[in-house]
Amino acid sequence: MASKEEFRKYETGEPIVTVRNLSKSFGSLRVLKDLNCDIKAGETTVFLGPSGTGKSVFIKHIVGLLKPDEGELEVMGRNVPTLGERELYELRKHLGLAFQLGALFDSLNVYDNVSFPLSHHTRMRQKEIKSRVAEVLELVGLPGTENKLTTELSTGQQKRVGLARALALNPTIVLFDEPTTGLDPILCTTIDELILKLKTELGKTFIVISHDIEGTWNMADQVGVLYQGTLLRYGRNADVRRDDNIFLKQFFGRTEDGPMIGV
Amino acid sequence: MVRFVEFIGALFGKVLSEVGAIGLFVIKTLSVGISTFPNLKRFGEECYNIGIQSLFVVCSVGAFIGMSTALVGYATLKDLGAQNLVGIFIGIASIRELGPAVAAFMVAAKAGSGMAAHIATMRVKEQIDAMEVQAVNPFWYLIVPRFLAIMVVLPVLVVWNDFFMLGTGYMIAVFQLKINSGAVMENLLSTVAMADIWKGMIKGWVLALFIVSICTFKGFTCEPGALGVGKATNQAVVYCIAILIIINFFLSQWLYGGIGLRGM
Ligand SMILES: Nc1ncnc2c1ncn2[C@@H]1O[C@H](COP(=O)(O)OP(=O)(O)O)[C@@H](O)[C@H]1O
Ligand SMILES: [Mg+2]
Repeated sequence: MASKEEFRKYETGEPIVTVRNLSKSFGSLRVLKDLNCDIKAGETTVFLGPSGTGKSVFIKHIVGLLKPDEGELEVMGRNVPTLGERELYELRKHLGLAFQLGALFDSLNVYDNVSFPLSHHTRMRQKEIKSRVAEVLELVGLPGTENKLTTELSTGQQKRVGLARALALNPTIVLFDEPTTGLDPILCTTIDELILKLKTELGKTFIVISHDIEGTWNMADQVGVLYQGTLLRYGRNADVRRDDNIFLKQFFGRTEDGPMIGV
Repeated sequence: MVRFVEFIGALFGKVLSEVGAIGLFVIKTLSVGISTFPNLKRFGEECYNIGIQSLFVVCSVGAFIGMSTALVGYATLKDLGAQNLVGIFIGIASIRELGPAVAAFMVAAKAGSGMAAHIATMRVKEQIDAMEVQAVNPFWYLIVPRFLAIMVVLPVLVVWNDFFMLGTGYMIAVFQLKINSGAVMENLLSTVAMADIWKGMIKGWVLALFIVSICTFKGFTCEPGALGVGKATNQAVVYCIAILIIINFFLSQWLYGGIGLRGM
């Protein structure tokens, strides 16, 4: 049975997430249309695209929050849409998702938010939890904010606490939904560098959704361009960057007008 | 006419599907509640929240209803020349009917709406999704503790409210209506049986189940946006009040239908 099977270690370059013919509609709105891609372990894969194209919906499928209408989705050897609740929770302990708007529990302070997964899924002592929380808060550039209420933080700070929370359990795959949108340029660079650092030092797999094109070129190994629910382009950083496709040109700011609307 | 029938049909269908959805929600809560060890810390917090949130409103409303019960009882019994029996009237009305009902209504209005709003906000701000992604079951963390807490706290509030109403009713009878305090007290004590207090707690317990089911369900299934939160909270309270009145009737029917003063 899948749940008994150990979560194995993935070598760099091995597909850790495979997406086959994934489609999803909400009512008559077709949000994802026949998506196909392999996401490789130990790499940073960045999905770019204008807002409203289904980037968040895609990432929610990977963590099993949404079920596809059609298609298959395998994460760490598990066929996500078919998993039972218990198996899904087991898988999720290996995934860390930082939500687009933070999604922090606003009835808890920063410490309780970041320690939430630790106190529920590990046998760490209070002292160990404390030092782990301090460590990840330091990583995201918010040391010493443990006792603040989440409502006292700016949006950017909330996002970074959400990121710290996603990192707390030291997950195999880290998913960021627009980690840098709405942050000032210096912080953007900080987050981008953090992702680079975590990838090289800890060999983590990153799946990042981004609006920030410069940042993408800096940190991505693989780039996917989503537009109106289809994966317009999926390839290595350098290849996509050089691509001639008129959509990509417009999106990457090399021509003013193009066929894409609402970029 | 055809339109009217269509309308009634659609309404009926909507109500049925809503009831079905609440039923499934409660079953899910039960299955999580049975299959996992409850989160005692959250249970404690919810007991405190519900109790503290509701205590003041329950008491203040109870006090005034206790007082007016005494006045109405006096006015009724006076014409029969039996004004000294006002203690019986206060005892029966408070313990058997008004105590549990007032406590339940106030808990629904205060704690119930609070629950609906809180859970709805968490849903809208993706905090429930975040909990799911952190592999913590939101039923275990958010819903089950509230079920357990309200079913412990509301019966206690009922008893507390009973005494509050009796106390204020007694004061009106003795200090304003100038009825002999010994007579009031004796009539009170001779009317109120332990069984009545138990039955009041049973009423509180059943009503609590309806309050928490409706309010947590409405919050949990909230539609997007601030509008969704408002709608969820509003509907939760309106449904609760309507359902409570109906269920309270059936409970009175079951517990007191056709029995006399001293439970005979
Ligand atoms: N739970 C949902 N129910 C209905 N529609 C949804 C839901 N989630 C997202 N959508 C719709 O799907 C589309 C894509 O949304 P999203 O993935 O959030 O876009 P983005 O690429 O900006 O992250 C939007 O039109 C949005 O309104
Ligand atoms: Mg999004």
